Amino acid sequence: MMALFKVIAGRLYQAFLLLAVMSLVGFVGIHSVGNPVYNVVNIETATPEDIRRATELLGLDLPLWRQYFVFLQNLATGSFGISYIYHQPAFALVMSKLPATFELAAVAMIVATVTGTGLGLLAGTRPGSRLDRVVVAATVYALSVPSFWLSMMLILLCAVTTGWFPSGGRGSTAEFLGWDWSFLTIDGLRHLVLPALALAIPNIALIARLARAGTVEVQRADFVRFCRAKGISDRRILFRHTLPNISLPIITIVGLQFGGMLAFAVVVESIFAWPGVGKLLIDSIQLLDRPVVVATLTLVALTFVVLNAIVDLLYAVLDPRVRISA
Amino acid sequence: MTAENHTAPLLEVSELSLVYRGASRSLPIVRNVNFSLDHGEVLGIIGESGAGKSSIGNAVIGLLAPGIAQTAGTIRLEGTALEAVDGEARRALRGRAIASIFQDPSSSLDPLMTVGAQLDETIAALSPELSRSDVRARAIQLLERVGIPDAPRRHHSYPHQLSGGQRQRIVIAMALAGAPSLIVADEPTSALDATVQKQILHVLKGLVQDHGLSILLITHDMGVIAEIADRVVVMKDGAVIEQGATAALLQAPQDPYTQRLLAAVPKLRSVHPDPASPGVGAREPILVVENLSKSFGGRSILDLFGAGKPHFALRDIGFRVPRAGVLGIVGESGSGKSTIGRILAGLESAEADRIELDGQRCDISHRNRAGSLLGRVQMIFQDPSSALNPRLTVAQALTECARATAPAGEDTSQAAVRARVIETIERLGLQTLHLDRFPHQLSGGQKQRVCIARALLARPKIVIADEPTSALDVSVQAEILALLKETVAENRLSMIFISHDLAVVQDICDDVCVMRNGRIEDYGSSDFIFGQSENPYTRHLIDARPKILAA
Repeated sequence: MMALFKVIAGRLYQAFLLLAVMSLVGFVGIHSVGNPVYNVVNIETATPEDIRRATELLGLDLPLWRQYFVFLQNLATGSFGISYIYHQPAFALVMSKLPATFELAAVAMIVATVTGTGLGLLAGTRPGSRLDRVVVAATVYALSVPSFWLSMMLILLCAVTTGWFPSGGRGSTAEFLGWDWSFLTIDGLRHLVLPALALAIPNIALIARLARAGTVEVQRADFVRFCRAKGISDRRILFRHTLPNISLPIITIVGLQFGGMLAFAVVVESIFAWPGVGKLLIDSIQLLDRPVVVATLTLVALTFVVLNAIVDLLYAVLDPRVRISA
Repeated sequence: MTAENHTAPLLEVSELSLVYRGASRSLPIVRNVNFSLDHGEVLGIIGESGAGKSSIGNAVIGLLAPGIAQTAGTIRLEGTALEAVDGEARRALRGRAIASIFQDPSSSLDPLMTVGAQLDETIAALSPELSRSDVRARAIQLLERVGIPDAPRRHHSYPHQLSGGQRQRIVIAMALAGAPSLIVADEPTSALDATVQKQILHVLKGLVQDHGLSILLITHDMGVIAEIADRVVVMKDGAVIEQGATAALLQAPQDPYTQRLLAAVPKLRSVHPDPASPGVGAREPILVVENLSKSFGGRSILDLFGAGKPHFALRDIGFRVPRAGVLGIVGESGSGKSTIGRILAGLESAEADRIELDGQRCDISHRNRAGSLLGRVQMIFQDPSSALNPRLTVAQALTECARATAPAGEDTSQAAVRARVIETIERLGLQTLHLDRFPHQLSGGQKQRVCIARALLARPKIVIADEPTSALDVSVQAEILALLKETVAENRLSMIFISHDLAVVQDICDDVCVMRNGRIEDYGSSDFIFGQSENPYTRHLIDARPKILAA
């Protein structure tokens, strides 16, 4: 019980440290880019008096450390501040964009994990075969193609030329758990396909390579040879023995990539006009909308901490050697 | 199966040839091997590394390593040629007619699955008609048959929660799941301690006696053959040298190779204690160790899942190494004997009341600290292949060592160092032509000689040899041991000799320390330990050694 408490305390400490660092990065970063006040007032009509009043109103006249202090005070009451541009609470603004990003990233990651692991297993059980060579070569291309080019090709081929899928936007949504989701409607699903593919393809390649390397190694292991000698079928060896044994590194990568997608799928979200967190973040940085930037970065940090904890838990579920040795 | 099969032996291998087809050339692995195995019989195949014995086992199971192909001969099981059976039918034979046991039970089991689930899956694969509960009942029954205590509870254990011996029992239970008539056991006890080895051999023997099973036993260990095999096939370089009934072959080996193999096996001498022989501590010690303890207990995230208490690897160890003498440390795996070696070589830290080397106090509380033992004590490791840098020639490795450890003021010119290196290796039976070779161009015995030379060149106060012969073939083992003995006597060296092999220890050591679970269980002069000691654990270790018939 004591040990459990220690680990949780350690995790919370880690989370707080990360949040502090991320909010500082947001603060100092935006501060050094420029003065947000010029994006708030109308430059052409504003008098020096207007600018001074706006600066005071936003608290920008204080030294940076005082501003940070005010931010911390607000944070203690649960507020990340009000967006300079949208005049809404920053945190609520980020949260309103989260479902769109979350469903996009989740669909992309599920597709990538299933396809990547499948390809990796197939290739890894037949090293040196034609299939193996094709998979390995294809992953190199998929990893080297820039995502903006990939996105545009997808739009060109699957939307513009053939008209199979819409080229952008979220389509119609349905409400579930108080949020709007695209994947609950046919139209929304059709809108989801291309951006999800654009995000999934490099990850398919990454996971396929990991899975292939793991499979090649596990297939040589004594216990797989012993399974053959026991008369276990190849299928069962593949799914009951090989798959769990290669899954630890895959889970790690999936966790990291998923976290990254939630915040930094900027290119794909912009090209497909997907109203997600990444797009909000890049827009806010351009407009020097500090409360939104800081709120987004903080949320991302929090997501990574939670994802890390989930990955560690999955490790314990999958690998008994990590669990209590009774 | 036809009626004539009743007269056919269970397994008949005739004119078997196996070839490795590499990218550039083909290498014969096994040439024209003939033998047969009857119902209820144990046939041992013995040979040193590279003899091709494991490949024969793999050919019988039908799982040849990639690149190896059967080019001639037949393997018949109850009269049916196995070459004619392929694909699905051959797989169906595995586990049912022919089961197998591999060398290392730790790697034979899937680490992520409970042993029960693995056993269940084997039973279900071999008898798909059984219901879930029947499978489970049969699994428990098999576990009990191989002597797993508290089988229903152990069914839920993961491999890492079991000891090596229990894991090998589980592997045997799986081999029995399909009620096979033949078990191919490839070095089934080589990864186990002597006492556990004895128990496992006992289990195998029971299977043969009670159930009429036949075992094809592949091993490098004469002791195992003597213990369990009815007949022996001696192999060398892919060919059969000699075969016959075990007792006859061990007593009167015909072929010179078999004779050498037998002569090389270390044997325990029976000791008639001489009451006048000097006891421990009679000679002046070069190294004094008092109350040495070492605990492991890290602070890691894994503490969440495990116990947080520190685990003692060593507790209150005290001994003296006589000047120009050899102290032996024996024990089973996990007894902490190698940890002592690493601590005294300065590679690991520990706590101790007193460590005195040649009259000087030493600090071992931190690694790499000035005044530690580092450098003044040299090690010879178990596996010479991994103890040498593969990218350095022998000359480079030895010169580097001689230079680094040369005392201030010594001539370290190219010529002087080279002369020292040459002198040292020649005394160890190597020649100057070996100097420009890389480790992979040397045999195991030659590599170990280089390691010994490296240790000697540093002019250590003490040499620690940690299982220096365990990774070598028996005949090479004997050479290296003789060499070590000679070197110690010639140079008036002091040595700590760590081993699990009692006969080797008796052969070379003046004093002996018996370790168990991180503590010293028994300590005395070699004659005392082997002749008089009444410590039950010492007696147990001595009794566990497989006895080879009078040779």
